[in-house]
Amino acid sequence: MAQYFADIYEAVSSVLKGMRITFKHIYKKPVTLQFPDERQVMPERYRGFVHNDMTKCDSCNICAKLCPVDCIYIESEGKGKARMMTRYAIDYNKCIWCSLCTENCHTGSITMSHDYDHSVYDRRTLVYEFMDPTQETIPCHRATRIDMGWWVEPKEDKPKPKPKPAAEAAPPAETAPAPEAPPPADDKPAPGTPTPDDDKGVEN
Amino acid sequence: MDALIALIQNAPGAANMSAQALHNTAAALMATLMFTVMALCAIVFTWMERKVAGFLQNRYGPMRTGRWHGWAQAVADMLKILGKEDIIPAEADKGLFVFAPILVLLGSLLAWAAIPWAPGFVAADLDLGLFYIFAVSSLVIIGILMAGWSSNNKWALYGAARGAAQMVSYEIPLALATIPVIMYTGSLNTQDIVIAQQGGLANWYIFRDPFLFVAFWMYFIASIAETNRGPFDMPETESELVAGYHTEYSGMRFAFFFLSEYANLFLVSLIAVMVFLGGWWAPLPLLDVIPPALTFIIKGVMMVFFNMWVRWTLPRVRVDQLMHLCWKVMIPIALICVLGSGIIQMVRG
Amino acid sequence: MATEDVKATGWADQDHVPEIKSELLELNMGPQHPATHGVLRLLLETDGEIVYKVTPVMGYLHRCAEKIAEGVNYKQWVVYTDRFDYLAPMCCNHAYVTALEKLMGQEVPERGEHLRVVAAELSRIASHLVSLATFGLDMGAFTPLLYMFREREEILNLLERIAGGRMLYNYMVPGGVRYDVPDDKWIKDVLSFVDMMETKKVPEYNTLLSYNKIFIERTANVCVISPEDAFTFGCTGPVLRGSGVSFDCRRDDPYGAYPKFDFEIPVGQGQMGAVGDCWDRYFVRMLEIEQSCRLIRQALETLPDGPYQAIELKKPVKAPMGAVYSRTESAKGELGHYLIGDGGQTAFRNKVRSPSFCNLQVVTKVGVGQMVSDLVALVGSLDIVLGEIDR
Repeated sequence: MAQYFADIYEAVSSVLKGMRITFKHIYKKPVTLQFPDERQVMPERYRGFVHNDMTKCDSCNICAKLCPVDCIYIESEGKGKARMMTRYAIDYNKCIWCSLCTENCHTGSITMSHDYDHSVYDRRTLVYEFMDPTQETIPCHRATRIDMGWWVEPKEDKPKPKPKPAAEAAPPAETAPAPEAPPPADDKPAPGTPTPDDDKGVEN
Repeated sequence: MDALIALIQNAPGAANMSAQALHNTAAALMATLMFTVMALCAIVFTWMERKVAGFLQNRYGPMRTGRWHGWAQAVADMLKILGKEDIIPAEADKGLFVFAPILVLLGSLLAWAAIPWAPGFVAADLDLGLFYIFAVSSLVIIGILMAGWSSNNKWALYGAARGAAQMVSYEIPLALATIPVIMYTGSLNTQDIVIAQQGGLANWYIFRDPFLFVAFWMYFIASIAETNRGPFDMPETESELVAGYHTEYSGMRFAFFFLSEYANLFLVSLIAVMVFLGGWWAPLPLLDVIPPALTFIIKGVMMVFFNMWVRWTLPRVRVDQLMHLCWKVMIPIALICVLGSGIIQMVRG
Repeated sequence: MATEDVKATGWADQDHVPEIKSELLELNMGPQHPATHGVLRLLLETDGEIVYKVTPVMGYLHRCAEKIAEGVNYKQWVVYTDRFDYLAPMCCNHAYVTALEKLMGQEVPERGEHLRVVAAELSRIASHLVSLATFGLDMGAFTPLLYMFREREEILNLLERIAGGRMLYNYMVPGGVRYDVPDDKWIKDVLSFVDMMETKKVPEYNTLLSYNKIFIERTANVCVISPEDAFTFGCTGPVLRGSGVSFDCRRDDPYGAYPKFDFEIPVGQGQMGAVGDCWDRYFVRMLEIEQSCRLIRQALETLPDGPYQAIELKKPVKAPMGAVYSRTESAKGELGHYLIGDGGQTAFRNKVRSPSFCNLQVVTKVGVGQMVSDLVALVGSLDIVLGEIDR
């Protein structure tokens, strides 16, 4: 019998305690963000939709090979200096925002943007073509690009800073068979084949 | 009703109406009014439930529809639900399936007739008013059982069986808790009960004696169970039975259940106000300027808020514990309240 | 009730009991059911509220992850491990890279190990919060769910700042972690979050949910898993510890930086009922949140300087031929990887031992004879994640 009343007392008191806690929350400011009106500031490392800067991209195919889900479509024709890029597209239906493509891009053209709301009505529109529709082809080779005034020096201050020697060694790389323009047929080298510079550097 | 008849009599062009015609007009007006209030309260309370839940949970609830705190959300939901496809499962018992929501709605609608909104303003001034309310609201049980069984869905059947057992059981403490009040008043007439509580806070039945205070809480707990709301939402138990007895319902038929839930919620709150919390009487003489009907409704809405607060705080009890609570805890306590209150009344004379 | 049962009660006149034909009701709980935490399907045979047979049916979320492991290289597969237990992806990352480093014989810098512990423990807190919250929801308490998700949101914000993703981080790489701490403010924020969790939030949850009488009634003495059953079915993690067995890979088979830290392994005490009931499993997680807070604080306060990754990100990872089995304590239990390398950049075979899968099997024994509502409590207290069960 004592247990019976103890149970009732415990039930009533614990219910009242719980109700006090919920009631206190009425006066607290809600934590919700009213989304379209106020937006969260994305942190620096936030991985949003992948963006490719076509002025930097030289169609080296590393990103396409590294992608675990094969969502990057790159097409090019010709060889050597005459190689022309005909298509660069990213299928956001497939993309899993893993960032493997960006950290291996040697020109720094492909980056993770801070965009996150690309709502669409038709999922076919999520295949983003990065080529300007007025341009049918873009020359890939660096020398051609420089003539066009399109080339931007490879980015050095990427989130994973490369060892210093890499910057100095960049000019000679033009003559050496550097990964800037690997032949498209060359499938053998593994993704992110280390350049000679890379061997120095387990950085930090 | 009498007040309404008097009102109609004074209206232009109604001077030469017969007594019968007057009565019929008043009844039709009253019924329309009741139904409107019921539909309105479903709309208002769905919005309120979301807002209360939101603020209890540190969020906003609906914010966009209608700009100011999403006030039009419930209206939009109603419109949406009207436009939904009405599905009747192929294997369902069609007649019962269609009839069940109407019966549920009817049960809660009929009970509204005996609610005294203001002095003289009651649709049906019955001598057995309180008894009538409890009797008529039992119709809901039949509707729920019908809905669950006729859907030909196992989950719905579970919900219906649980719901029937629960609601039949909780009728008893619900009615028992009001018996001390009836003993005080000496009448089952709803107006008489309210009139007996005139004279400020101390004269409300809840504060008349300690047993009545306990009886009020017994009534409150039983009323939560009677309206199938958390922590006693056995017929629905969304985490166990998907949606309980109305799993197979869609569109307007589902809206009927929805409407009836909120109408019932307001109804039991109003009964609590009427029986224990002084009906239309203001708590302080200062507040007498507020019209009685408004006082009554404000108190009712506060009870509804309390109900929602409980719902959004507590976990759900299990079906056997629910029965345990009813038969082994609440009914004995309610009986003790009847006895104790009776003794106090005898002693006081 | 069958005829024999009616006779056995002695109530009816023995000779006049009619032949009542009855059979069990077969009930499909799931794959679309609010209480099965995803796409689990439980095939129940019930008599009224009592369950007589439970058969879990799995595979609705099967994504061939282990087969994919044979097709993508080691670094690419780290991405897929995020998707196993999507509530604690850091722990899954940690399990895989630990196995891979064991195969490669790769050392990890101190700072990297510390950051891994911080990330994994934050993820563990997030996972336990979801587990407690959904368990509360299964019991019908909706508000604790939103309070716990509010704190989980803060963890996601912290992890977003260090790893760049909110849910799928891809943070750990073979030989370390992908990024260093973003700034000193991050460390301060994590420490203040951990303090807030320990001093304010956990007591609040306890008052609101753990010690609520209705909740105790619903969970105490319900679906008791005995230590023997837990061993037989291969349960690990909070399910095993809830049954009173003190076993934790972080202490008993140490990996990473865990041996350096001081923490306790909470076990079920049977405070509210029998040892191994749903309440114990629930409360073990609550206590583990506090222990994770301790671990995070120690790891950040003793965060060493120096490199945080041993292999540069751009370098491909090669593992020698051989096979290893490595196990770690994920949020759900013992997460093991059996990894066979063929000397190249891709695994020959990668078998994953997922804790949720083993934990789930116990329903076939413990769920029998319980009520439908208790079965919901059991499944909720096991804290299964279908992404990990089906892979």
